Amino acid sequence: MVRIVESTILDAPVEAVWAVLRDFNGHDKWHPAVADSHIERGYASDKIGCVRRFHLADGSELREQLLTLSDADMAFSYCLMETPVPLLNYVAHVRLAPVTDGDRTFWHWQCRFDTPTGRETELRDMVANNIYRAGFDAVREHMGLPAARQGGRP
Amino acid sequence: MPRVYASSVIDAPAARVWEKIRDFNALPRWHPRIRESRIENGEPSDKVGCVRDFRLQNGDRLREKLLGLSDYDMFCTYAILESPMPLTDYIATLRLTPISDGDRTFIEWTAEFDCAAEVAADLVDGIGSGVFQAGFDALKRQMAG
Repeated sequence: MVRIVESTILDAPVEAVWAVLRDFNGHDKWHPAVADSHIERGYASDKIGCVRRFHLADGSELREQLLTLSDADMAFSYCLMETPVPLLNYVAHVRLAPVTDGDRTFWHWQCRFDTPTGRETELRDMVANNIYRAGFDAVREHMGLPAARQGGRP
Repeated sequence: MPRVYASSVIDAPAARVWEKIRDFNALPRWHPRIRESRIENGEPSDKVGCVRDFRLQNGDRLREKLLGLSDYDMFCTYAILESPMPLTDYIATLRLTPISDGDRTFIEWTAEFDCAAEVAADLVDGIGSGVFQAGFDALKRQMAG
């Protein structure tokens, strides 16, 4: 079992960030890895159980199902149903929290998955860098926020 | 039931911040409003159920009981047993979460309590700014550099 936990601070009020993230079909508007996306069977993107079918820039197709969505907790979770890469039993959780000191947003994104022995590090790095960290940067850009700080403390 | 929530970002790794705050008897060493503290009955300060008896800079006395402590999840939960504030059933949680981007700390402090409706707003403001945010500001100063 591989686990990934990534988190960051966005310099925007939590309601504004949640407005972007809560649309389960909205990731093609901001995530550079996602070329197009639609919700199967014409369901609303906030209907629990809906499935988003989307393509990456390289043409590969993925399907993910919305498992939970909470406006009260500003959180949602989803699982991967079909993917060309061996991310098995992949379940991810996204959660936002307000930083009251400065009206900013804490964004927590974590997942776990199984994968064939020997590919753990490669796939962990791929998901952490290309999906999660790239997603943080992409939402900053989408919202017109300052770029992330690089590295550790000065 | 009134609820207080305050959160901040501390520019230090969560493990270092946790080291400073996990000691239930350590308030005078990091919180500027607290003058002195002791644990009753000589118990260790990480024994769940222990009681801290402490005084504020203005001389007010409070007693609080440790309800939960987790080094794994980095949180501590406690209840007020005695205080000069007009409230009852006060339970608070102080929690740290690592921010992987920059190796910083997200710190959250929440409380719930009962009180008369007419004093609720003042209590929420006073606890949120005078206790929680004041504690964050002190930690930010102490953990800098």
